[in-house]
Amino acid sequence: MWPILLPLIGTIFTFLFKRGGAATISLVTVSAITLAVAGLTRQVLQHGEQYYAVGGWEAPLGIALHADGLSVLMLIMTTIVGASTSVYAMGYVFQGPRAGSAVGGYFFWPLWMFLWTALNVIFLSADIFNLYVGLEILSLSAVALVTLEGKPAAIVAGMRYLLASFLGSLAFLLGVALLYTASGTLELNSLGTRMLSNPSSGLALALIMLGLALKTALFPLHFWLPPAHASAAAPVSALLSGLVVKATFYMVLRLWFDVFPAIATPAVAQILGALGAVGILWGSILALRQQQLKLLIAFSTVAQIGYLFLLFPLSNGMTEIGLDAWSGGVYFALTHACAKAAAFMATGTLVYALGSDRLDDLPGTFRRYPLSVAAFTVAGVNLMGLPPSGGFIAKWLLLTSALNSGQWWFAVVILAGSLLGAGYVFMVLSRMLLDQPQSIADSKQARPVTLTTELSALALAVFVFVLGVTATPLIALLRIGAPF
Amino acid sequence: MLKLTAIWLTHLLPGLLVTIFGIFLLQAVIALPAQPVGLTTEVQRELPNSGVTNPVTAVLLNFRGYDTLLEIAVLLLAVVAVWSLHVVPLRTGHARYVAETPVLAHLVRLLAPVMILVAGYITWIGSARPGGAFQGGSVLAAAMVLLLLASMIGIRPRQRWPLRVVAVLGLAVFVVIAGGTLVVGNQFLEYPRNQAYALMLVLESVLTISIGGTLALLFFGAIPETASFETMNDEG
Repeated sequence: MWPILLPLIGTIFTFLFKRGGAATISLVTVSAITLAVAGLTRQVLQHGEQYYAVGGWEAPLGIALHADGLSVLMLIMTTIVGASTSVYAMGYVFQGPRAGSAVGGYFFWPLWMFLWTALNVIFLSADIFNLYVGLEILSLSAVALVTLEGKPAAIVAGMRYLLASFLGSLAFLLGVALLYTASGTLELNSLGTRMLSNPSSGLALALIMLGLALKTALFPLHFWLPPAHASAAAPVSALLSGLVVKATFYMVLRLWFDVFPAIATPAVAQILGALGAVGILWGSILALRQQQLKLLIAFSTVAQIGYLFLLFPLSNGMTEIGLDAWSGGVYFALTHACAKAAAFMATGTLVYALGSDRLDDLPGTFRRYPLSVAAFTVAGVNLMGLPPSGGFIAKWLLLTSALNSGQWWFAVVILAGSLLGAGYVFMVLSRMLLDQPQSIADSKQARPVTLTTELSALALAVFVFVLGVTATPLIALLRIGAPF
Repeated sequence: MLKLTAIWLTHLLPGLLVTIFGIFLLQAVIALPAQPVGLTTEVQRELPNSGVTNPVTAVLLNFRGYDTLLEIAVLLLAVVAVWSLHVVPLRTGHARYVAETPVLAHLVRLLAPVMILVAGYITWIGSARPGGAFQGGSVLAAAMVLLLLASMIGIRPRQRWPLRVVAVLGLAVFVVIAGGTLVVGNQFLEYPRNQAYALMLVLESVLTISIGGTLALLFFGAIPETASFETMNDEG
């Protein structure tokens, strides 16, 4: 329970005392959440899956919470990315609606604490309506965080994000209403056992998957993502690309295996996989065509989300191969969260320093801001999926399950995506490492940056390699309560 | 030709999509059981243990109190989101939405006390009949908006902390009660049997004030800024 309550308490205090202490309060909250998540992880490791009846009312009357390996791994991901982003945000200069008024900086903390609450609510919920409530907090705080930057581009992108996101929420809610009327329960497992194959559950599946795909930015519903993620403030972009799309993906995953196995046919899984595959290629190709750094990384997110959805066709059949694909997809989400957040943080520092996010303005940055360039490089290695990064492990699992299940075309897409990924990472790196006379980085125009921002990005990026080494125990943790 | 394509894209295509969706929805609704199972029997069975006699209130504050806690969080989130967007400078000590006509002033004088009374009554009756904090809070918010429009209440410069306290009050008390249930060794939000009614009444009352205040604050559409920010704005 504490992982949910603590960020909520953090929200109240950062809202009340925003002038001076908000950042300090957040750091206290971050430490407390870390302890709570560590405690829960220990509990799950020792005693297996955990159930909790809120208010002492058992489901279906009350709301059930549920923690298994998957939930715990998502909580750990949120804690690590959240903690480093919090440290980063302390050193980051927010623009706000009026430059100098620092309104943006004040409101970042309560909004981020709300977002964190929503993430933990979603990862621990075993109730489909409770998931919807979590989704509501998630979307609203994410949109407010985008518009925090205050520039017209951010407001427009935020508005588009808001509309897309609420369309997704409404579709989800309609699906929930259909399921509840048909089965008389909101608890995930009993929904799954009472699932009948008829037009109403079919429409519920379609609505819920469509709503969540829209929120996760699965191709071709990704149109809102690049402007929103690219125009937000750097710590916000890190949170959005790292965590927010993972939360909605987690919901797809949870519902797919707990609620819909009776009616989710291989054909539906193939559709999701095909959209993911097209997303990988489309996102990567568009990333290669960008001239602006943050847009490039945002399109890379579109591509990487595609990999997550390969999990569905590859894990079909509930066998050992399926387990590999499932673990690979989840591990991919975990490593991508860390790598992409680190990439956004590192480039955010550079964009602030140079006052520009054009690729052509990057030369010379390696000498003046070596830590940020190093952070981007390390994160980039993961995006390409090279060993010994965690991304390599995840891609390897997906690749072997593609070959073992005889779906070689997905293996081709995974390899092609990695090549294209290497292309856009090198496109950025080659410019960062270029030694050019009269570059902005060497001129007086370039602003000094704080060590906090540079180091927090680097630490998070290096952590991706830790994930490469600790894959075995983490995947063992993931298998506690796995659907296979 | 071009015009036809435009009409096709803006009118016919959405219409077609909506029609197809409507057909699917109709088919789905027909496939639903004629007698929905629902949870009515479970709610009725546990109602005596909930501390109240109105099933809706029992579900909102007790059986699914956790969802309501999060919904109250959404209200505060809405205020934070709106405040983070934009700033309304307050020129005088009062709200700037001033419409001084004798009709409005008299009407508000007559209505406001009754509305506040009604808000209180609706909240109080919520334990037994339809009503509760959300309904009472809406009436209270309407009364406050009327008072603001008639400039009978206003926000003084340099005194924004009461606004923040009102906005956060409902969530804070809810969180304190929820944390309290954990501290005394119960499940999260499991009220002790004997105190359930009292706790829910306190919660409802505080929520009414907070919901009313929050909705009235949202009526401003932005954070009512203080004088210091105003001068900054004028310089910039």
